[in-house]
Amino acid sequence: MPDLSRRDFLKLARDGLLSLSGLLGLGGLIRFLAYQTEPPTRTEFDLGPASDYPAGTHKVIPEVPAFLIHDANGFNALSLVCTHLGCTVEEKAEGFSCPCHGSCFDPQGEVARGPANKPLRSLHVETTVDGHLHLSTA
Amino acid sequence: MRRSFLAASALLLLALLAALWQESRQSRPVSLTPVLTSQVEYCLTCHADLPEISQSHPVKTFGCVLCHGGERLALDADLAHSTMRGGNNPSDFSVVEASCGGDNCHSGAAADYRNHIQRATTSIQATYAGAIAGIRYTFGAQPDPNARLGIYAIQAPQSASGITELAAFDPAGETSPAIQAFAQDCLNCHLSAQPLAGDEYSRFTGCAACHTPLSDSPTIFSENGGSQREIHNLTTAIPYTQCNRCHNRGNYDLRTMTFQPRADQPTDRLHDYYQPIAQFVRCEWTLDCVDCHTRAEIMGNGSLYSNKKEIQYIQCRTCHGTLTELPKTKTLTDPNDLAFRLAFLNESARHVESAWNLEISDTILVTKKGEPLWNIRPLPDGTYELFVKSTGQRFTFHPVMGSSCQQKPDEQASQDCHKCHAVER
Amino acid sequence: MRPSFLHHLHPPTIPTRQARFRYTLAAGGLAVFLMLILLVTGILEMFFYIPTPDEAALSIQTLSFLVPYGGLVRNLHYWSAQLLLVVSAVHLVRVIFTGAYAAPRRFNYLLGLFLFVTAILLDFTGYILRWDEGVHWALVAGTNLVKSIPLLGNTLYGILVGGGQPGSATLIRFYGWHIFGLTLVAVILGFWHIFRLRRDGGIAVPPPALRTDQERITRFELVRREVLAMLLTGSALFILSVFAPAPLAPPIRNTATLMESARAPWFFLWVQQLLKLGSPFLWGVLVPLAVLILLTLIPYSFPKPAIGELGRWFPKSNRAAQILVAILGLAILSLIALALIPSP
Repeated sequence: MPDLSRRDFLKLARDGLLSLSGLLGLGGLIRFLAYQTEPPTRTEFDLGPASDYPAGTHKVIPEVPAFLIHDANGFNALSLVCTHLGCTVEEKAEGFSCPCHGSCFDPQGEVARGPANKPLRSLHVETTVDGHLHLSTA
Repeated sequence: MRRSFLAASALLLLALLAALWQESRQSRPVSLTPVLTSQVEYCLTCHADLPEISQSHPVKTFGCVLCHGGERLALDADLAHSTMRGGNNPSDFSVVEASCGGDNCHSGAAADYRNHIQRATTSIQATYAGAIAGIRYTFGAQPDPNARLGIYAIQAPQSASGITELAAFDPAGETSPAIQAFAQDCLNCHLSAQPLAGDEYSRFTGCAACHTPLSDSPTIFSENGGSQREIHNLTTAIPYTQCNRCHNRGNYDLRTMTFQPRADQPTDRLHDYYQPIAQFVRCEWTLDCVDCHTRAEIMGNGSLYSNKKEIQYIQCRTCHGTLTELPKTKTLTDPNDLAFRLAFLNESARHVESAWNLEISDTILVTKKGEPLWNIRPLPDGTYELFVKSTGQRFTFHPVMGSSCQQKPDEQASQDCHKCHAVER
Repeated sequence: MRPSFLHHLHPPTIPTRQARFRYTLAAGGLAVFLMLILLVTGILEMFFYIPTPDEAALSIQTLSFLVPYGGLVRNLHYWSAQLLLVVSAVHLVRVIFTGAYAAPRRFNYLLGLFLFVTAILLDFTGYILRWDEGVHWALVAGTNLVKSIPLLGNTLYGILVGGGQPGSATLIRFYGWHIFGLTLVAVILGFWHIFRLRRDGGIAVPPPALRTDQERITRFELVRREVLAMLLTGSALFILSVFAPAPLAPPIRNTATLMESARAPWFFLWVQQLLKLGSPFLWGVLVPLAVLILLTLIPYSFPKPAIGELGRWFPKSNRAAQILVAILGLAILSLIALALIPSP
């Protein structure tokens, strides 16, 4: 065991205590700064009665934002959030296009042109017991 | 110097650890964002063990602060409770409008049956106008028995009685010593008053005076008696014992202007229900008060009256009919009929075992003023069935018509029925 | 070892006698430390404080109860602020009672005095930012006091309050004063004060010829002592913040009604007592102003401390100034104490 002078031991002890205090302080600071005051983003949406969305139609739901389709397979929804950097894509004849950086998607949400490289997310739609449509972005 | 440094560093670490310890001791906040307010509240951090107050006021929809007030973000008890309305009773009439009011709640339109606060605060039980007018008239402070004063000042512009407002009764302005003695000793039984001391009188004020019934168990929580479970409760299944916190408690002696509490020690319902001097028939002690006395009778109809006799009108014949008339009935055709709502609001009616399901085209009894007696209906065999609001028990009874009743056609009041049917104790 | 930047901010050596705690009470240095704590905790609070009348008190409740260590940060800020006023007063008293304000230090004394006033205003503006019922009275009375000034009163009130009565404009202006306007003034005055301290020759001592003790300590030793003092004060602040929370009251929801008892913040209780005597302008503005003017006059119009008597407590030569400050200090403390006695 190397000889530690009393002076060095005391210095080590002091530095150790101060470092520990510093770490505790840092931990507390991070927890302080990380607290979220706003409620988490909404993920569940009630779209109203299913009868409002007849078969063979589609509708843009702006507050999500999502594109609701009612076809032979039932209800389906595409997220209108561009997979590049989050702008809301616009409905076009050939699918969807993003005004921010020019990404294009086909009517099924697949990437037709970049810079996006992931397809539009498919969102879960279900019918509730009282006949309403419930959309979830979770 | 080095030792001081070490000591000071150790002290700092200890101080930080003290802060850490304090943070860990804080209970984890439990949040609730009620549907009606969308503003997060943290009352449940300490009060999660409180039962739901009623099925009509679920905490997920209402939260706590909407009714009680208080500081929704504070986890310090004193600060959190500092702005609560009415202490532990937000239905006290001094704060009831802020707590229970609103167009969609209890101070809406009469046509929607939502004017409870207006009716309750103008009722005789609340204003005490009858007792005050009676005493003042008796002792010469007013020329007629019409009500002029109430416990508090109140207006009723649409009052059917013609009395559209009451001023506040001020004992200091009275000259008669009898009236002043009345003010001193006899003002414990209106809905804004604190009750007399003692379990037999214990009740809340305001709406909770009736709608938060306290059992007869000994006081184990607060001066109002009952357990915390019972206190956080709003119901329409009100047993007679709650009415008896004011009623049947004794008698007034006008000469000495004192209240003589009843001295008997009843051990069963038959003897407990009424005072030894009262006369009553079987259904009057078997059923609860609310099974017969109507909404308008108990809570008022929004008008100001001078005497309870002007609002009380239920008679034996209302349910039993007379020798020549069956009791009045009504068939329910409108899904918005008050009867459906009243039946829905009663817990006993919804309870699976005793379910009293009213449907369109059902027939129920009505009073002569059209008030629905939703808990009484005719059966196909000519008898009638009554559902006890507080317990769900059912009773079957016969109409007078077709029985061997010896009524005289001009003696149809309840007191005449008592002559033969009064119960002996 | 080679001196760091921090070491260079300090003089190479200072006289040992005057470096002792029992001489300076470490008051000036503690004031600097407390201001640093206030800056840091204040910035942290800015992450959560919302300066609107509807949200202010609620955001403080969020900070105190829901943010991890939020209550601790707030309490540290509160106690540092109150201790700063106490420590500044102690420093002022020390400077008077050791005659350390004589030429060439007279201007620096004025800087210090204005720094003290700035600290008091910072404490008051911070107090108002709570926007709860505990400060409601002080907000109304304090702003109305400004209106009592003849000729300028209404204009000053308009500048302070931003409207006809305290409201959202007032809150945002007080916020601006507190986090920037007054802080900038305090930082500038503070740096200038410390610069002048060094330029005027450091801690006041007699010239070498009149000095009995020539011993000095190095800047390294001085910094070591300061760090020790900071560690101890920091620990005390933390302990205080853990066991004595800063006050909280329900938010101001109705500007018309005052819910709680009418109490000025502790450092203005003496003014509140004076105001019981009558005219707001006389007792609320002129008298406190007179106290300030008297204090500014001390280095200029009172008998100067003899150069040979510097560097120690209670020199004979500036007894008049000592007596004046003692009287003023005791008067103010008595008035504050009187206000704290609960009324029957």
